[in-house]
Amino acid sequence: MTASAAETLEWLFRPRPIDSGIDRTALAGLLVELARTVEPKACVQPTGISSVDPRLEQLRDLLVGHEIEVLGRLRQVVEDPERLGVAVGRVLPAAIASSDARLGQVLAPALEKATETSIRNDPRALINILHPVIVPAIRKSIAEAIDSTFQSLNESLRQSLTWRGLRWRFEAWRTGKPFAEVVLKHTLVYQVEHVFLIHSHTGLLISHVAAADAASQDPQLVSSMLTAIQDFVRDSFKGAGQQGVDTLRLGDLRLWCEAGQFAMLAAVIRGNPPEELRDSLRSVLSRIHDERRQALESFDGDSSGLADVAAHLADCTALRQQARSARKAGFPWFVFVASVLLAGTAAGAGLWRWQVVQEQARISAEIAAEIAQEQARVRAAELERRAAEEQLWSGYLDRLRAAPGIVVTEAGERNGKFAVAGLRDPLAPDPAAILSESGVDPARVVSRWQPYQALDPVFVLRRLEASLPPPRGVRLSIAGDRIVAEGSATPLWLSRARTAARMLPAGGPQLDLSQVQNVTEGVFAKLRQTIQAREIRFNTNDSLPAPGQDAVLDQLADEIKDLTALASTMHVTAHIRLTGHADDTGPGTLNLSLSIARAGAVMALLKKRGVAADLITIGGAGQLDPLDERNSDTARSANRRVSVAVLVEDER
Amino acid sequence: MTTTVQKKICMLGGFSVGKTSLVKRFVQSIFSESYQTTVGVKIDKKTVTLGDKVVHLILWDLAGEDDMSSLRMSYLRGSAGYVLVADGTRPATLETALSLRRRVEADCGPLPFALLLNKYDLREQWAVSDGDLEALRGSGCRVRSSSARTGEGVEDAFTDLATRVTH
Repeated sequence: MTASAAETLEWLFRPRPIDSGIDRTALAGLLVELARTVEPKACVQPTGISSVDPRLEQLRDLLVGHEIEVLGRLRQVVEDPERLGVAVGRVLPAAIASSDARLGQVLAPALEKATETSIRNDPRALINILHPVIVPAIRKSIAEAIDSTFQSLNESLRQSLTWRGLRWRFEAWRTGKPFAEVVLKHTLVYQVEHVFLIHSHTGLLISHVAAADAASQDPQLVSSMLTAIQDFVRDSFKGAGQQGVDTLRLGDLRLWCEAGQFAMLAAVIRGNPPEELRDSLRSVLSRIHDERRQALESFDGDSSGLADVAAHLADCTALRQQARSARKAGFPWFVFVASVLLAGTAAGAGLWRWQVVQEQARISAEIAAEIAQEQARVRAAELERRAAEEQLWSGYLDRLRAAPGIVVTEAGERNGKFAVAGLRDPLAPDPAAILSESGVDPARVVSRWQPYQALDPVFVLRRLEASLPPPRGVRLSIAGDRIVAEGSATPLWLSRARTAARMLPAGGPQLDLSQVQNVTEGVFAKLRQTIQAREIRFNTNDSLPAPGQDAVLDQLADEIKDLTALASTMHVTAHIRLTGHADDTGPGTLNLSLSIARAGAVMALLKKRGVAADLITIGGAGQLDPLDERNSDTARSANRRVSVAVLVEDER
Repeated sequence: MTTTVQKKICMLGGFSVGKTSLVKRFVQSIFSESYQTTVGVKIDKKTVTLGDKVVHLILWDLAGEDDMSSLRMSYLRGSAGYVLVADGTRPATLETALSLRRRVEADCGPLPFALLLNKYDLREQWAVSDGDLEALRGSGCRVRSSSARTGEGVEDAFTDLATRVTH
């Protein structure tokens, strides 16, 4: 606001005196003039003008009443600092936005002064603002400077005692440059072998250029792995901020990474590159960003639109410093020897100490790397061992689940041990035996088994075979959900089998006995009856059969042989019991021995006819078991006999 | 004319679901498995041809961890899609996979993904019911049964995912 404008405003809002402040005489003159322009003959003199005239006020209200009111409102706004602040605030942004450069020029000194005062009063505010931006940059810059110094020192020490070193000292003296700079100029030998341009957001490869003789793995995979390693470092060392890794070194190879806004440039360099190379890489990256910003930002995996950046990358791979040709012949040994002597033992000691320190650092770095490698290897081995053990464990569980009569109800890992629990039929395979076959360390396993009876037909059959041993003539087998008995058996076994069948639990397999033939029925039974009806007759007091009994004996022998053969097919054993009898004449003891003698005689005669003697047993009944009890010769004759009984037994 | 595209795909799944076996048999690999135990990720490549388009799926095989907090979410940045792997004989791993999906969606928004129920060759121990599968499919999951041993379902899953991330 200029000074004059301020004065106008001041005048405008000056409080009005009670009198209007108007030169009333001049006004009266003006009105007379006006009257004369209407009526030239009017001859009026402005006389007798009173100092106060209410009509004048009325006239003014009529002419500028509205303006007076507006001005009044404006005045209220301007005089109230609060309302004035609000009003100016409303228009200020628009006013500044539409102002030209002069506003900046006018404001700058005031702002500078204000900032200066503020920082002088409390510098911490500014430090807090700048810290995250500036500290990493400073840190990086210092690190690079130190690195560079070390390189130069290293080279200096290496070169200072050679002929070449002396020559370079001379060059430094001649050109006025620092010796270190001269050394660096001559010694840095390197070759940029690979350059990757990697999309920062996805880690995908945008472009890759390799020097003519460089070999590498799949650049797409390398590019993503580099991004992953950068992420890993950023995540693991939060203090690194957003910087990530900018240098990796492996023997003679270095990997230098330069991060840009959308893409990262990674260069694989063989040899000993100067720090200035980093500037070259940086400038290539920023050139690519300048030219292809849009394409880099919207990169989605299709690099065909960015083919031209390869040319920039090729500029990088062209960066190299070749080794000088080998030393020329005619090396001036005397100069070397002299310089060694001049340099003296102190320099030698210094060099030795330097090498020792370097060697120690190298060894400790190697040890650290080995320890890290060993730890990774141990962890990988542990994981592998765990996986192998889990596989064995799951194999064991599979075998348990497959075993009949074992029900696994729980399996898992608890407190570093494998645990399994379930039900086991006592007839099922032993889990401990399965465990030892599975290869899992039994000490790592906790097992808990509850006994139960499986209704699996195999187990019911095995239990049945234990409680009801089947004779040789009977075969038990599983047919569907039944256990079927087949063959022939004695009534004794059959009755025990029926009892056992009734005892089987409901809902499980049942025992089917319908296929078992009772040996006391059928052909066998008939032959047995025929044999038991046979009798061999004797004369009084005679232990040999009466004449004419040979035919009966022949028949009996044949029948017994038939029966034995038949029994063997039915897996039963038929025993022949010969009982001798006597009539009631003579003393009882004599009759008893006579009856035994008669049975013995028949056994011998049967044996003679081919009957197996071990199937025959003999006994004597004396006169106690007469066939006919009447007191007559016919009855006595009938009682002098040998009777035959057939006993059947299940074959075991 | 053949066009070539690269896409970043993350492979996620619980402990020993067979993710590494899937990768071992079906993809190009130059890095050793020890990267997973150290850096937490291993990069592999699966190349899929879709008509005249060659898609290189750059697979970030993230270390399988049941403790989800140790998963490095920064590795998910820039993924075009992901593969969830679960073990069909252990329903808990399916839970892990679904919870991984929720975490990925919270960080990266909805991305195309494939859910592989691995170890389909151990069908007799299969513990995920058809009803569960139908429910998952109903909720928009592309579920496939796969087997690193027989190769069943694996190629299809990669081809399908490649189609969806390049569409």
